[in-house]
Amino acid sequence: MASVKLTNVKKIYDNKVVAVHDFNLDIKDKEFVVFVGPSGCGKSTTLRMVAGLEEISEGTVEIDGEVVNDLQPKDRNIAMVFQNYALYPHMTVYDNIAFSLRLQKLPEDVIYNKVTNAAEILGITDYLMRKPRALSGGQRQRVAIGRAMVRDSKVFLMDEPLSNLDAKLRNQMRAEIILLRQKLNTTFIYVTHDQTEAMTLGDRIVIMKDGYIMQVGTPTEVFEMPENLFVAEFIGAPKMNIMHTELSCENGKYYVHPFGARLPVEGDKGAKLNELRVPGKQIILGVRPEHIQLAKEAGPNTIPVKLEVNEMMGSELHLHVYTEDGTRLIVRVPTIDLDPEQRNSLVQGAALNITFGGKVMHFFDKETEHNILLP
Amino acid sequence: MKTRKSLPSGIVMLIVAACLIAVCAPLILWIRHAAAMDSASFMETCQTIVHRIAHPFPIDPDHMGAVLLTILMLLLLAIAVVLVIVAVINLLRGPRDEQSRHMGLRTANAISNTAIHILLVVISVIWLLPFIFIVLQSFRVESTYQVGYIIPEKWGFDNYVSIFSAGSNFPRWYLNTFIMALATAVLQTVIVLCMSYTLSRFRFKMRKPLMKFMLVLGMFPGILGMIILYRILSDLGLTQAHAVPGLILVYVASSGMGYYVSKGFFDTIPKSLDEAARVDGATRAQVLFKIILPLSKPIVIYTILTAFMAPWGDFVFAKYASMNNQLGMNVAVGMNTWLATPSMLFANYTKFCAGGVVVAIPVVILFMCLQRYYVEGVTGGAVKG
Amino acid sequence: MRKYTDLEYLKLNKWQRAGHKILSFFAGIPQGIWNFIKKIGLGLGKAGKAIGAEFKDIVDTFVHGDWKTKLSFPIMGFGSIARGQVLRGILFLLFEIIFIGYMVLTGGYWLSMLPSLGKQGPEKGYDPIYDQPITIFHDDSFKILLYGVLTIFFIIAFIYTWRVNVRQNKISEEILKSGKKLKSGKDDLRSMVDDNFHKTLLALPMTGIVIFTVLPMVFMVLVAFTNYSAAYNGYSNNLFHWVGLDKFNQLLSWKSVQGGQSYAATFGEILVWTLIWAFLATFTNYFLGILVAMMINKKGIQFKKVWRTILVLTIAIPQFISLMYVSKLFAENGYFNLKLFNDMHLFTKALPFWQDKTWARVMVVLINIWIGIPYLMLMATGILMNIPQDLYESAKIDGASAWQQYRKITLPYMLFVTGPYLLTSFIGNMNNFNVIYLLTGGAPVNPAASSAAGSVGYTDLLITWLFKITQGGEKADYALASVIGILVFLVVSLISLVVYGLMPSVKNEEDFQ
Repeated sequence: MASVKLTNVKKIYDNKVVAVHDFNLDIKDKEFVVFVGPSGCGKSTTLRMVAGLEEISEGTVEIDGEVVNDLQPKDRNIAMVFQNYALYPHMTVYDNIAFSLRLQKLPEDVIYNKVTNAAEILGITDYLMRKPRALSGGQRQRVAIGRAMVRDSKVFLMDEPLSNLDAKLRNQMRAEIILLRQKLNTTFIYVTHDQTEAMTLGDRIVIMKDGYIMQVGTPTEVFEMPENLFVAEFIGAPKMNIMHTELSCENGKYYVHPFGARLPVEGDKGAKLNELRVPGKQIILGVRPEHIQLAKEAGPNTIPVKLEVNEMMGSELHLHVYTEDGTRLIVRVPTIDLDPEQRNSLVQGAALNITFGGKVMHFFDKETEHNILLP
Repeated sequence: MKTRKSLPSGIVMLIVAACLIAVCAPLILWIRHAAAMDSASFMETCQTIVHRIAHPFPIDPDHMGAVLLTILMLLLLAIAVVLVIVAVINLLRGPRDEQSRHMGLRTANAISNTAIHILLVVISVIWLLPFIFIVLQSFRVESTYQVGYIIPEKWGFDNYVSIFSAGSNFPRWYLNTFIMALATAVLQTVIVLCMSYTLSRFRFKMRKPLMKFMLVLGMFPGILGMIILYRILSDLGLTQAHAVPGLILVYVASSGMGYYVSKGFFDTIPKSLDEAARVDGATRAQVLFKIILPLSKPIVIYTILTAFMAPWGDFVFAKYASMNNQLGMNVAVGMNTWLATPSMLFANYTKFCAGGVVVAIPVVILFMCLQRYYVEGVTGGAVKG
Repeated sequence: MRKYTDLEYLKLNKWQRAGHKILSFFAGIPQGIWNFIKKIGLGLGKAGKAIGAEFKDIVDTFVHGDWKTKLSFPIMGFGSIARGQVLRGILFLLFEIIFIGYMVLTGGYWLSMLPSLGKQGPEKGYDPIYDQPITIFHDDSFKILLYGVLTIFFIIAFIYTWRVNVRQNKISEEILKSGKKLKSGKDDLRSMVDDNFHKTLLALPMTGIVIFTVLPMVFMVLVAFTNYSAAYNGYSNNLFHWVGLDKFNQLLSWKSVQGGQSYAATFGEILVWTLIWAFLATFTNYFLGILVAMMINKKGIQFKKVWRTILVLTIAIPQFISLMYVSKLFAENGYFNLKLFNDMHLFTKALPFWQDKTWARVMVVLINIWIGIPYLMLMATGILMNIPQDLYESAKIDGASAWQQYRKITLPYMLFVTGPYLLTSFIGNMNNFNVIYLLTGGAPVNPAASSAAGSVGYTDLLITWLFKITQGGEKADYALASVIGILVFLVVSLISLVVYGLMPSVKNEEDFQ
């Protein structure tokens, strides 16, 4: 059983800089939680506080119900994989992995079994007698994971482990981490700045900015119901399109008026707006690029735009367009059903019409940037 | 494309040459003043100078200034002549095309390389010359005082024998210094490494104030402290004949202040290694011994080497501590007594040379074997210090 | 003095910029001095506040503490023992017992004698048994000063430990109140190799430094305010006493000494030469060393390792051998003169290498170059090899010639990296005892200044003069030497402060990384 609970955790440096404000989180046993956010948001600092490598200024960290604020890292029963692997350069791979076990004074044959097991799972059995400088980046990564694996610890901490790998290797390792998680069956706390990793790996994602938690939720929750503008823009690539527009209410039906168009709000969202009796006002409207469609011709519910850049992504096109007043939007168009005539018309400067349905809109308050539909 | 009109290089060279020649006139006046010939006229001075250049020796040391100025003037004139020749060739040949300019660059490169090689040979000779002298003179048998020739007339080991013979204290000095070097090498290394590792790895409240404090402390002249340390040591009986343990104490006790180079080295080892080890369950002490030290071989050897070599060259502290008692001296102080007065110098000059060779050889051999580490220490840590 | 905006500054040409920089430097001096004074004031203010806070805390602990805490005030360690931390408590108690014992037995005596530095000197007596005059020794000023200072150190250490003891009680109470357990003796021992490992590591080196460097320095600074000398050695002939600033006045007075120069004139002369020497020694070695390193490093030079090894060889040979030998080599009847004067008659008389003031000074600088260049060359070579190659490649593409590359890349990088080294080297040369003393012993002697405590020469540094004053046998004046030492320290710290103030870029390491 290894739950992790952070209560009112703060990190304040000597020069009064606050790196982490009032962090509260309950991590269940065997859960895979990802801390994600831009650099400097405090995610690594929080992880290091859980590990015991940074002092906790205020608040408590509990591992398995026990407050660990004053415990040394080695007494917290955690394992950690560092961003730059931190392998001991003068020891072989075998000795690197065995190091912590030898400190615990386990018998050598037990150590042998544990190390070779881990090596087999990770596929590094051939490298056991090599030194770190003779390994590639991906291999070193695996050794670092192996070192953490053999400890049978309660919590597995990973600090941006894939940042130093090239794009292709990163994709590969992501899948391996998912497999690893199934094999190890323990609690994971994973830190990254890459929202793709967060979405694919995490049971729950904690999105942080400037030391504050912006939202905690499952990947689906943060994608479909972002609590605020920051989360909406951070999750999903390319970024969600943001428009400043008016929300109006006529006879119980809601409409938005971006750039002269008039689009009805439909379905659950419309009902929810009604329920909350949201008055008509200026709002921030968010629509994801994949939810915008090209309209065949202009109409009351289309927005006229001009095409600036056309990015060919393979299975889809990313169209960078701009409206009459200069607002820039991105539209994702699948190439598979696109007929050649339409495709050829997508050149720089082409005039297009775009529209979107009422179910895909996100409404944010203009001042608080909070999602209007959520409490 | 140059839009400004520039003078052809030949003209520039001629102008420079003219300036150089013009400078010679005031130089001649200066020479006249330096040679105390103020009464002579300009023409007379020029005549004297030409005469002196033709018959340079014997030079009067009192007029060294005039000699140096004459040499300077000759140098300037030579450069001016070369410039004129090159300028004339330049102007006659006209502007050169790209290719010949490149060829000119290559020949210029070859010329400068040869010049540098010659210079390096000269430098090497100058640097090694005194030591060659010492070695040669140590084998001189026919006399023990300074003479005007280098190569001995009669070769022999007499000097070496005499420094190790019964009446000489040299073996005692040698032993003293050797013991001090050994003890210092071990103890000082331990202390310096403790200090530099702590300052590099740990972040505690008094860290910056401590470093500033030691910086300021180092600005006091060290030998001032010897006066009182001598008193304390003599109360403990560790001076004069028993200066060796006293000196070891003095060298080692304050060696913590010399942490800069080692600290610079430790700073280059990534802290994430420490952190990984601590997460793996190591205490901070185990981190030092199992992780950091194995990676620090170069700096440890550097520290041992410099600590070992220091007592061989120390003069002031050893002189204070031994206070004219021959039994407690180290080689530096002891050999200095051989040359203290002219009469002693008369009798001991060649002995001194022999002693110098005996002292230098083991130290040099040790140094040359480990020079790789010394170089690493100097270029790596000392610079960042 | 207007400040330029970035764009305006870029428009100025080279001369205008230089002029602007110089003007703003001088204009900034009063502001700089004012800032410095403000910083000192603020520092003192902070110190005062901190001390006030400490007192408040102590009173607080006593008033709000339980009976164990209150009893810990007179009996150190009581609270710790009563709360189960026996190891700590016993250590505190032991320290208190030792301290009280020391103070009662000897400490009090030394302290009481400190203001007077001894009341009764040696007196002549008569030994009836052996029928001869003897001297009866009484107080020893030196011992009084020494042990008095030690006692003061001890008192300070005790006050600090007592304060730690008081704070321990407060912390222990708080820990117990919040329900946690106190650290046991075993915990303490374990922390000595873990989170408190730094204290364990520092204990030995710091003890050595305090006893063998701090204590002598404090002592010598105090001696400067006494009249301790060979004639007043505090024990066998006369006691010495506090004389306030007398010795300072003596050194800085313009009165002539025994018909010769005044001390102040001598001091001034030697100070000027020390500064000139330090400057020459540092910069000649620096630039020539870099030059040699660049020469050896140049592409197309063969046998690079041979040249370097030869020079490195000269570092290995103990300096005193080289210096003493060379000193004799150029003596009036040394090899040089014997060969070139006596034998070859190249000169009208023996070259006065060490006999003429200017010759001697030039010679020491030259010999110092001989000694110092190999080391500088080594350092410069290391730096040269560390300059990232892509800087040069990018410059070549931009069209820079070899000379321009040297000027714009190599030299600035070199100067930047070794800047701090120049300062430490300058200070080191100011106190470079060996080179001057072993080469010339300060010669040629300055007759006018000789009477001022030991013979003074034209190549003497402040530090060699200091040494001679302490070795003057019966004329040795230790207090005067201490005064000189203090003045040396002041000069050195002033120079360091100014240089560090002028070079804030020294701290900008990011530029080159």
